[in-house]
Amino acid sequence: MGKPDKKTSPLVEMKGVSKTYFPRKQLFARHQNTVLALNGIDLCIETGEIFGLVGQSGSGKTTTGRLLLRLEQPTAGEILFNKVPVRGLKGRALKEFRSRVQMIFQDPYQSLNSHLSIAETVMEPLVVQKIGTPESRSKKVIHTLETVGLSPGKSFYNRYPHQLSGGQRQRVAIARAIVVEPEFIVADEPTSMLDATIAIQLFKLLMDIKATFGMTFLFITHNLAAARYLCDRIAVINEGHIVEVNTAENIIRHPEHPYTKKLIQVQPGFKFSR
Amino acid sequence: MLNKYSLQRFYKGWQIFIKNPLGKTGVIILVVFMFMAIASFFVPLIGPMYDPMTGIDPDIRVSTGPSLTHWLGTDNVGRDLLAQLLEGAKVAFIVGLSAAFFSIVIGTLVGMVAGYTGGLFDAFLMRTADIIMVLPSLVILLILASLFGQFNIWIIVFIIAIMRWPAVSRVIRSQTLSLKHRPFIEASRVAGASHLRIIFRHIMPNVLPLAFLYMTFRVTAAILVEAALSFLGFGDPSQVSWGMMLQWVWKSGHMFQAPYWLIPPGVCISLLTLAFYMLGRAMDEVLDPRLRKEGQS
Amino acid sequence: MALLSVKNLTIGYKTKKGLLKAVDNISFDLEKGSPLGFVGESGCGKTTIGMALMGLLPENAVILDGSIQFQGEDLVLLKEKQWRRVRGAKIAMIFQAAMNALNPVHRVEDQIKEAIITHQPDMSSADLTARLQELFSLVDIPVQRMKDYPHEYSGGMKQRVIIAMALACDPDLIIADEPTTALDVIVQDQILQEIRKVQQKTRTGLIFISHDIAVVASVCDRICVMYAGQLVETGTKKEVFTSPRHPYTRSLLGSYLSLDNLNDIVIPDMQESPDLLSDIGSCRFADNCKVCSGVCRKEAPDWIDISGTHKAFCCEPQIIRGSHGKT
Repeated sequence: MGKPDKKTSPLVEMKGVSKTYFPRKQLFARHQNTVLALNGIDLCIETGEIFGLVGQSGSGKTTTGRLLLRLEQPTAGEILFNKVPVRGLKGRALKEFRSRVQMIFQDPYQSLNSHLSIAETVMEPLVVQKIGTPESRSKKVIHTLETVGLSPGKSFYNRYPHQLSGGQRQRVAIARAIVVEPEFIVADEPTSMLDATIAIQLFKLLMDIKATFGMTFLFITHNLAAARYLCDRIAVINEGHIVEVNTAENIIRHPEHPYTKKLIQVQPGFKFSR
Repeated sequence: MLNKYSLQRFYKGWQIFIKNPLGKTGVIILVVFMFMAIASFFVPLIGPMYDPMTGIDPDIRVSTGPSLTHWLGTDNVGRDLLAQLLEGAKVAFIVGLSAAFFSIVIGTLVGMVAGYTGGLFDAFLMRTADIIMVLPSLVILLILASLFGQFNIWIIVFIIAIMRWPAVSRVIRSQTLSLKHRPFIEASRVAGASHLRIIFRHIMPNVLPLAFLYMTFRVTAAILVEAALSFLGFGDPSQVSWGMMLQWVWKSGHMFQAPYWLIPPGVCISLLTLAFYMLGRAMDEVLDPRLRKEGQS
Repeated sequence: MALLSVKNLTIGYKTKKGLLKAVDNISFDLEKGSPLGFVGESGCGKTTIGMALMGLLPENAVILDGSIQFQGEDLVLLKEKQWRRVRGAKIAMIFQAAMNALNPVHRVEDQIKEAIITHQPDMSSADLTARLQELFSLVDIPVQRMKDYPHEYSGGMKQRVIIAMALACDPDLIIADEPTTALDVIVQDQILQEIRKVQQKTRTGLIFISHDIAVVASVCDRICVMYAGQLVETGTKKEVFTSPRHPYTRSLLGSYLSLDNLNDIVIPDMQESPDLLSDIGSCRFADNCKVCSGVCRKEAPDWIDISGTHKAFCCEPQIIRGSHGKT
C-alpha cells in the first residue's frame, strides 16, 4: 500500500465516503430501487501525482469524481481538499474552491456548449472567477489554446465546436480546465470516445501539462493499461468499494486482490514480442 | 472583440435563413402583409371615404363588388373593403406579435426557472400552469366579455398571453431538464458559474430555438383567437380586423352573396398564419448551429 | 475456393457537400475457418464494409464499383427482396450493443424462434425446440433460462443470445461489428472466448470488425488494416502485429496501450482522418505520414508484397521493405 509521505499532507482525502441514490418513489413498485454507488471508500491523493481510478461501468468511479468536484454531496463520510472539508463550502469559499479544482469530461461532443465559440467557452472560467481584464483574458485564452496544441490560437478563437474534430474538442475541454491554473484536475475517461492514435497524443499532453504546471490529477478510466501508462498510483474500484491501491507498477506486477488479478488476466493482448 | 462578432453572427444567421425555402417564402408573405399594414396608415389620407371604420362612400348604400373607386368593393354601409383589409393586417400583426411575445417571455422564464430549480418551487409553478392550461381560453374570454362588455384590443392581447404561457413553459421546462445534466452545464458549475449565469448564458440559447418556434405557433394562435372573438361579436367594436370583417359579412346576411367581402379576410388569416409557421421552421435552422446544412457556418 | 471474395469494392455516400468515398477500392478474400479481422479507427470504412456485406447500406449509400462474390452470386447486384433470402440465413451479423436489440416484452426463446421461422417456416415444433437447446448449449446459457425475459439476463448473457440468434439459421458467414465494445472488460473476455469457441466448432466464416487491435488479434488469424476508406496492410496476425510495415499500422500499434509494452509506445503526430470528399487518388495517409517523400501526393500507391501472405499499400517500396526501424 502506498503510504502518504509524512512531510506533505495529501491534497485530496476521502474518508468513509458513501453515496446512495434514491430514485423517485414509484407508487406501485414492489420495492424502491436505491442504488448504493459508493460504499465507504477511503482515498488519498498526494500533491503532484497522477492518481488513477480504474473500474468498470457501474463501479462508482464517475460518482467519485463528481463528489470530489462537489457536483454532488456524499450521503456519508468526509471529503477534504487541502485539509478543508468540501461539504460545507459556501459562497465565496465555494467559488474559490472552484478555481482550484477542475474537470475534464468524457464526451467531447457534449461537454462544450455548441452555441458558444471556442473563445467564449475557454474564457468562461476566467470571467466567472473575475480574473483579469477582457484584454488579458483574450491573451490568456489564446496562449492556453496553444498550450493544448491548438495552434495558432487565433485561428481557433472564433470557431465553433461543430467545426472541430473530437480530438480537437477534447483539447478545448482541457484548455478550459487549465485556464484558471487549478491545483487539482479530475479527468473522467477523457479519451474513451477517441481513437487510439488521438488518445495517446492527449495522454502526452496531460503529462506535459502536469510537468509544466505541477498539477495533481485524478485519472478515471476503465482501461487498466492506460492508467498504468499515465499514473503514479492506481486504485482499483469495484461495485462501490476500493479493492486495492498501490503504485502503478505494483498493481500490474504484484496484484493482490482477486478482482485486480482478474482484470489483468482478461486484458486482451497479443502476446508476441516485438 | 465581442461586438463585431455578434454582428457577424447576425449577418451569417440572416444568410442561412434566407437560403432556406421555407424562410424565403415565409418572409415574402410577411413582407407583403407588412406593406399592407403600413399602407393602412396612408390609405385614409387619400380621402375620408377610405377610412376603414367611418369612411362611407356617399354614393353607395349597399354592398357592391370590386370597382375602380373601390378595388375590393364595399361593405353594406359603403365602407371600402380594401381599406378594411389593410387595417386588419395592422391589427393582426399587433395582436399576434404582442400576445405571442408576452406569452413566450412569461412561459420561457417560468419554464427555465422551474426546470432548473426543481423541487417544491418547480412543482408549484407547474401546478399553476396546469390549472391555467386546463381552462378553456376562448370560453373564458367569452364569459369575461359577456360580463364586462366588449374588450379593448390590448385587454384581449393581455388575456391571450396569460392563458397561453403554460403550454410554452411545459416544453421549455422539459428541455431545461434534459439540458441541466449535460456535461457542458456541469462544466460551467465546476468553473464556479452562478445559477443565473447558467440559466441565461447556457440554458437560454439552447432553449431559445424552441421558444421561437413556439412563438410562431402562438402568433398563429393569437391571430386566430382574436379573429374568432371578433367573428363572434366579442371583439373590440372600435377596431376593424379580419375577424370583425367576417362578423359583419355574416351579421349583415351577405355571406353567400358577397364573395368579394367574405373571401379576402379568410384568405388573409390563413396566409399570415402560414407565413409565421414557415418562419418558425426556418428560424430553427438559424438558431441551432448544428442544424445548419453542411457547407455553411 | 474462398467463401467470400471481394474485388475493387468502392462505396460512396451522397451528402450535401458531395460524394464521400467511404470505401475505396477494397479487395480481400475470406476462407472458411480462417477468421478475418478488420481493424481501423473512426471513419476508416470498416463498418460500411460490414453493412455492405449484409445489404444494410443506408439510402444515401451507393456502390460505385466492385463485386462481392459469395456462393456463386454477386451480392452487389442483389435487390432487397433477394437479400431477405440471404440475410440471417446465409450471412448473419452480430453488432455493437446488440443487446439493446432484444425486445423487452418477448421471451428470449420466442425471439430466437422467430429468427429461425423467418427463414424456415416449415420447421416442426419439436425440431425448433431441439434447435433452440442446441443453440443455447453452444453459447453456454443454461437451458432453464430459455423462457426468461431479456431484462432478467445480464449484459454478457444478452450478447450471447445475440450470438445465438446469429447462428440460429446456421449461416455460412458471420460478421461481428464491434460486438464487445459496449461491454465490461471481464464480460468482453467471456464473449471473445465464446466467439472463438463457436467459430471453431461450427467452422463458420467469420469477419470481425473492431477499432481495438488486441480484440481483433484474440479472435482472428488474418488482419486487414484500414485507413480513411483504404486497405493499407494485410497479412497474418503475426506478420501485421509483430512486423508492421505500413506507416499507419506502425502508428496504430505504437499508440496501443497494453500491460506489457510500455517501451514500445511511440506517440504519433497525427490529425484525425482526412476529408473523404476529395478524391485524392493518391495515398490518403500522406498528410499524416512522417516518412513519405512526397511522391505519394502525385502518384497512386500500389500493393507491395512483403511475403506470400503479407502486403502493404504504399507508393514507395523502400518504406515498406526497408528497415524494421520505428517510424
